[in-house]
Amino acid sequence: MIEVNGLRRDFGGIRALGGVDLRVAAGERRAIIGPNGAGKTTFFNVLTGELAATAGTVRLAGADITRLRPWQRARRGLARMYQRNELFDALPAWENVALAAGVRHGTYRPFASPSRAERSAALAQLAQVGLGGRADAPARALSHGERRQLEFALALAQAPAVLLLDEPTAGMSPAETERIAALIASLDRSLTLLIVEHDMDVVFRLADRITVLHEGRTIADGTPDEIRGDTQVHDVYLGKGMGT
Amino acid sequence: MSRAVAGSAAAAAAWIAIATFPQWSREWDSSRYATSVIRDILIFAIFAGSLDLLVGRAGLPSLGHAAFFGGGAYAAAIVGQRLATNELLVGLAAAAIVAGLLALVIGALAVRALGIFFLMLTLALAQMVYAIAFQATELTGGSNGFAGVRRPSLLGIDLASADALYLLVAVIFGLVTLLLWRVTRSPYGRALAGIRENERRMRALGYDTRTLKLSAFVLAGVLAGIAGALSAYAFGFVSPNDVALGTSVTGLVIVLIGGAGTLFGPLLGAAAVLFIERVLSSAIGFSQTVLGVVFILFVVFARQGLAGLLRDAYARVRP
Repeated sequence: MIEVNGLRRDFGGIRALGGVDLRVAAGERRAIIGPNGAGKTTFFNVLTGELAATAGTVRLAGADITRLRPWQRARRGLARMYQRNELFDALPAWENVALAAGVRHGTYRPFASPSRAERSAALAQLAQVGLGGRADAPARALSHGERRQLEFALALAQAPAVLLLDEPTAGMSPAETERIAALIASLDRSLTLLIVEHDMDVVFRLADRITVLHEGRTIADGTPDEIRGDTQVHDVYLGKGMGT
Repeated sequence: MSRAVAGSAAAAAAWIAIATFPQWSREWDSSRYATSVIRDILIFAIFAGSLDLLVGRAGLPSLGHAAFFGGGAYAAAIVGQRLATNELLVGLAAAAIVAGLLALVIGALAVRALGIFFLMLTLALAQMVYAIAFQATELTGGSNGFAGVRRPSLLGIDLASADALYLLVAVIFGLVTLLLWRVTRSPYGRALAGIRENERRMRALGYDTRTLKLSAFVLAGVLAGIAGALSAYAFGFVSPNDVALGTSVTGLVIVLIGGAGTLFGPLLGAAAVLFIERVLSSAIGFSQTVLGVVFILFVVFARQGLAGLLRDAYARVRP
């Protein structure tokens, strides 16, 4: 579903990504882990087109999307949940969701009324992420945890083929983390997931395969069991993070 | 729903009261003068309403909106003279097309920039339009302006009288307000609000934000051009001032005093600004200072403008 070959990104003289290769099958849950500064968020930014690739290619469902703009990639089914919330603060939660869903119905509808179906679809989406009672609250009035849930609702409302989750449980309480993890686990298998996450319990519970980035390179790629047993991964990351 | 119906009824009643002002005020000594002031308030309300689509809705602070107002005014005046016609539909079409094309060119360049750079680009490009208006003497009359614009007629119906012209302006004001109301409450208007709130996220959702912004810029330009044409008919005269920075600034001041992103803000703001500039200025010599102080007070203490103050007051008295 996603095929990345030799992906590189330089910032001036600094090589943030030094040639990442990745193949993710349709429906797979792929975790991407690595220490801070390993290039995980940069990798997502290059995948979505917010940063241009210095070299290498990205293919989505077989098509080369390396040169497409972010909005064109989104229309081809690539959605993203941001690490830091990127919401429409002044708009009610349900209109945030309606914006995410609305792009599929066409951007230029200046004379259409906001339909009841649109609102009820948004309410259903909010209920799915546990925000059912907060539909009419403006996004800026939501708590941190609720804003993460709304981020999630936006990404899902896009009805994507591939969803990139950048630290979906960052800054959440254990109870909220549990709810989000359960939500991710419940997502339809037609959806392909790439998850950047620091919570190793969540990673090992959800991922089919794990890719380990270190200093902008792929240093390991395998099933959760293989990654657990990889001595190099332990040295650069897991040894510190897990204490096992 | 009943609140929406009540709101629409109140808006319709207010419009009827405005549109029939020359009739019900006939006995007043200052009726004719007040009619001309309200006519100009409505023209500036159309102008500011179109600017508010950019400023209040899409979050695009344009400092070049006079290019489209003046462009439309010149277009209606010049086409009327060259074709030897005072047909309203010809004048309005010329104004809409010229203002729309100007907005397309200026917007195509400006929407690539963000924030303050967008502001500076609209200012710089509008100043170029001003320079052209000032220097193309044989076309625009240059610094002398373009005099002798005839009052319009609509398909043979003469609209030359003050009352007929007033009614025309009131009708177009009503139609433009209705259009803006419809558009801002549509999915398209919500997408513009999304750009105001977070353009980056809009792109990540699959919206081509540059084209969206350009479409709003052109729509706003067309409406400003229509306001300009009405101004040309009302004054019988187009001056380079109509394309100048001062007119752009007046538009922004009206939007901010009235309340950015509100439907009736432009009308309230235009009423406040023109009252100070026209009525108060004949009584006191420092009306421009008053305008400046009022503007500062609103920017510092009442960001939601007059519309916001009224809304808060209504919320307090409502049972």
